[in-house]
Amino acid sequence: MDEEVKTLSGITTGISRGMYVIAGVALAGSMFLTVADVILRTFKMPIVGTYELVGLLGALVVGFALPQTSRMLGHVLMDFVTSRLTGGVNRFLRILTRIMGILLFAIIAWNMCNLGFDYWKAGEVTPTLQLPTYPVAFAIAIASAVECLVLFLEMFEKKDSES
Amino acid sequence: MSVAAIGALVILLLFVLFLMGLEIGFAMALAGFIGFAAIVNVDAALNLVAKDIYSVLSSYGLTVIPMFVLMGQVGASGGIARSLYDSAYKFIGHVPGGLAIGTVAAATAFKAICGSSPATAATFATVAVPEMDRYNYDRRLSCGTVATVGTLGILIPPSVVLIIYGILTETSIGRLFLAGIIPGLMVALSFVVTLVGWCTLNPKLGPKGQKSTWKERFASLPPVIGVILVFLLVVGGLMQGFFTPTEAGSVGTFAVLLLTLAKRDMNLKRFVKAIAETLRIACMVMILIAGATILGHFFAVTRTPYLVADWLQSLKMSPTFIILIIVGVYLIGGSFIEDLAFLILATPIFLPVVLKLGYDPIWFGVVVSVITMIGVILPPMAINAFVVSGVAKEPIQTVYQGIYPYIIGMSICLILVILFPEISLWLPRAIMK
Repeated sequence: MDEEVKTLSGITTGISRGMYVIAGVALAGSMFLTVADVILRTFKMPIVGTYELVGLLGALVVGFALPQTSRMLGHVLMDFVTSRLTGGVNRFLRILTRIMGILLFAIIAWNMCNLGFDYWKAGEVTPTLQLPTYPVAFAIAIASAVECLVLFLEMFEKKDSES
Repeated sequence: MSVAAIGALVILLLFVLFLMGLEIGFAMALAGFIGFAAIVNVDAALNLVAKDIYSVLSSYGLTVIPMFVLMGQVGASGGIARSLYDSAYKFIGHVPGGLAIGTVAAATAFKAICGSSPATAATFATVAVPEMDRYNYDRRLSCGTVATVGTLGILIPPSVVLIIYGILTETSIGRLFLAGIIPGLMVALSFVVTLVGWCTLNPKLGPKGQKSTWKERFASLPPVIGVILVFLLVVGGLMQGFFTPTEAGSVGTFAVLLLTLAKRDMNLKRFVKAIAETLRIACMVMILIAGATILGHFFAVTRTPYLVADWLQSLKMSPTFIILIIVGVYLIGGSFIEDLAFLILATPIFLPVVLKLGYDPIWFGVVVSVITMIGVILPPMAINAFVVSGVAKEPIQTVYQGIYPYIIGMSICLILVILFPEISLWLPRAIMK
């Protein structure tokens, strides 16, 4: 059992970090794209569709940063009750909240997939660049699925963050 | 079961989830989902969750948050805080408590480019505390000061808290920025007054530093001028309608990047560090907003905010007293739940009350920001104190002892801002007609 958890943990770490790198590239890309648009706009040569691209990239920035942010214990939570509890109760609550988180992100992943298929079938595109929107929904679905894995593994780990 | 009863049960569930240690953003999303499913139906709730998450994450308007966080992180990892501190120190370091007053001045200037409060506290804990140690400053004073000055960015533009408030309440971010300037400077002044008073009563706390020559002082000014120019570019461009808030953040980040490159303080490694740190903070904030959006849609179908507004109005109390109750709720709530999370949770509930009482949402934004400033240094959830305690390797109690004197001045500022709305509203009215 331990071996399997270790292997899954290794894979999840790799995926989370890889997604974090993509999120970082999307963030830097959005910033440079916006600056280029602002500069070129003063010469009456705006980059058409910048707002759309930055919006779509924004989903990648946050969605793909999600699993690694969880691994770094980056989300805010109230721990002044749980930190005062004894080991057993604390561990029980930790497992219970992880299961709730998994349920939430499984719901999100599943419905984001459905939303993606809906957008695909309906041929939903952005107004200016006519970019399809379904890949963004699928990307968020993937990120949510990975988040489920991260939360699942947290049930086996001690409460240490990755820096 | 009546809609109001389901509303009350969901709020109860929310707090149980918080207490159990579920991430606050996740808890808001889950409680909102369960409540919506109970009132409407499960299919509608499933659809709501997907649509809300999609719209929050891919919203152009919300990309302003990562951009302004990035601007501050680039400034922090590019050594801007150190340059500002060096300059302030050269001008004022030789008076009693001068190094601490210099910290206040440098942090006020640094906040013009960095909107993140814990980031500033961490930066100045690294930069200013060792310097104050060198001159035998009392650790209570040095650690308390760096933890407290970090809060200035909550009010001084480009404040991430004001941006989030603007998004939640659909008020102009430009106006909010302008509204934060005078109260922000007022709070900074209260810090200086506190320091002067404290060091006069007990001169051993903050001994004099070395006196610099005027030549040294002027030589330290270029980075300060650079920061002021970036601030004018960002806030001015936003005021003039030349930039959207996201563009202002991007251009500001780029300008700070150029500034740090010119000082040879930026390299790829530091830039990557700034990006990584930004992702973590931005993701945390956006997940809170996504959770609050789902919960907000549940509240909308239960009409909870309007019920709260009607109920508070039916009490026939004076508007000022109702505002004081709301302030109390924010202070208490923010002391137990993380302050920013509580702001995101509570503002949509209380805003209708504030509007019904005839108050300006811009003014309320400033009031909420001053409360958040106090909240981030008020135990038991004093995030800035935790950060400084960690960086300076000092017990949390010592940091708290250094924070308490500042809270007096901040509380006076809060009362003034509540009683005299013109303190915050005069500047946006004068500039943006």
